[in-house]
Amino acid sequence: MLVSWHYKYRGSPMDQIDPRARWIFSFAFLVAATSTWNSSMLAVLFLIAVIWYSLGRTSWKETRRGWTLVLIMLFTMIVVNTIITGGGAGGVVPEGGQLVWPEGLRLFGKLLKPGLTVDRIWFALCQLMRIGGISMFFILIPYTMDSRSYGATFSKLGLPDKLAYTIELAIRFIPSLARSFSITLDAQRARAFELDDVKGGIVRKIGRIAPLIIPVTMNAILSSEDIANAMDLRGFGQRKRTWLFELKYHWWDYAVIAFGLLIVAVSLILVYGYKLGAFTVPPFFYQLFQ
Amino acid sequence: MQEKKSLWKFGTKQVVYAAIGAALYAVLAYATNMIQLPGAGNVSFRPAVVIPMFFGIAFGPIVGFIAGFVGNILADLLSGYGFWFWWDLGNGLLGLVPGLIYPLIQDYKAGKSILLAELFVVLGSAVGMGVAALSEMWVSGADMNTVIFANFLPAFIPDVVNGLVLVPLLMIAYAAVTQRSGRS
Repeated sequence: MLVSWHYKYRGSPMDQIDPRARWIFSFAFLVAATSTWNSSMLAVLFLIAVIWYSLGRTSWKETRRGWTLVLIMLFTMIVVNTIITGGGAGGVVPEGGQLVWPEGLRLFGKLLKPGLTVDRIWFALCQLMRIGGISMFFILIPYTMDSRSYGATFSKLGLPDKLAYTIELAIRFIPSLARSFSITLDAQRARAFELDDVKGGIVRKIGRIAPLIIPVTMNAILSSEDIANAMDLRGFGQRKRTWLFELKYHWWDYAVIAFGLLIVAVSLILVYGYKLGAFTVPPFFYQLFQ
Repeated sequence: MQEKKSLWKFGTKQVVYAAIGAALYAVLAYATNMIQLPGAGNVSFRPAVVIPMFFGIAFGPIVGFIAGFVGNILADLLSGYGFWFWWDLGNGLLGLVPGLIYPLIQDYKAGKSILLAELFVVLGSAVGMGVAALSEMWVSGADMNTVIFANFLPAFIPDVVNGLVLVPLLMIAYAAVTQRSGRS
């Protein structure tokens, strides 16, 4: 089994931004986007997300897998829950509102009375901008952030060394554990272990995975003692750790961080200071359905 | 003589266990995604969720939390799904809650220990997936029905079933391994 990271150096503007600045900006965006349902604010944030995403220069082919997951989520959230059943609009969109088909909708000779309102369609657009914007920020990460940088990044962001090193160590373990899994799978198949055509209920099917999971897990646990001893002998945790992956802020990183903080500050002022965060439908949108 | 178990200890051993747990979770989640469990239809079963649960029970709540939290981040990075902080947090809690019984378990193959572990597997899945699903209300504006039926139940049920079936098997195997290798 080949386990590989999706990151590759593209020489894109995103490659030049310090990972710390990227995390700070991404979380600043998350705070700003989740603070409001105001469509104008969400439109501005969505535009920022589009620009940010384009800086990564990733192709659709590369990111298709991640987007498929997001599209399924968006479909469930928006089409099924907000538009068809109206569930997702609860709590944000007020009850009632202008019906899209006040006279009913004739479909295959039958007159249907769908409860879809103009407000709920507008809310679906707001959801699309909000979830789409957040997705653009966070889908980009595996494709544009070097996996070697995670430990150093989180350590420099203030995470305790032990925790940051745990992340670093986990990343290093992945290839050897993937190899161990592959060998175990081959060995079990050589013993006529059948995974692909199991009859029976879910419990039986899950039970079939045990001959794979148990040996891999136990081998990993047994080897961990040696690793821990080796780390102790080298004085792990006795001093502040240094990192092979060097991080250095440039002026543009400070600009990215400052812009992120500005987005949060402006959003919170508009939402809590000027009370502009509530969901409202612009009058022109009502007129479109009259 | 058995070493006294400290619930919140995070020394060198715990760093390694947490890292191995996270890497195992990521690899097994990635691998079982590739293999596709037969007959499960389009329901996404992730047997790898037992890793944070078991690592919590065997090595403590911090190890369980990191195995779930970091493991889910790495699994998503490997699969190219992006970074979903609130679901990572939920996966962390999936390991943390069963880890709370870590000091209470001395014999991993005893019926009482397994029963207690099963109880906390259910509780951990409820808390972990509950927090993750509820966060969708904040992020996506979903209402409670959506959260329960579209987010919570499709994640909670497979996690509980996987945990209830596989955690006892891992506990029994771990008891045999520790006995044979003379570890405590």
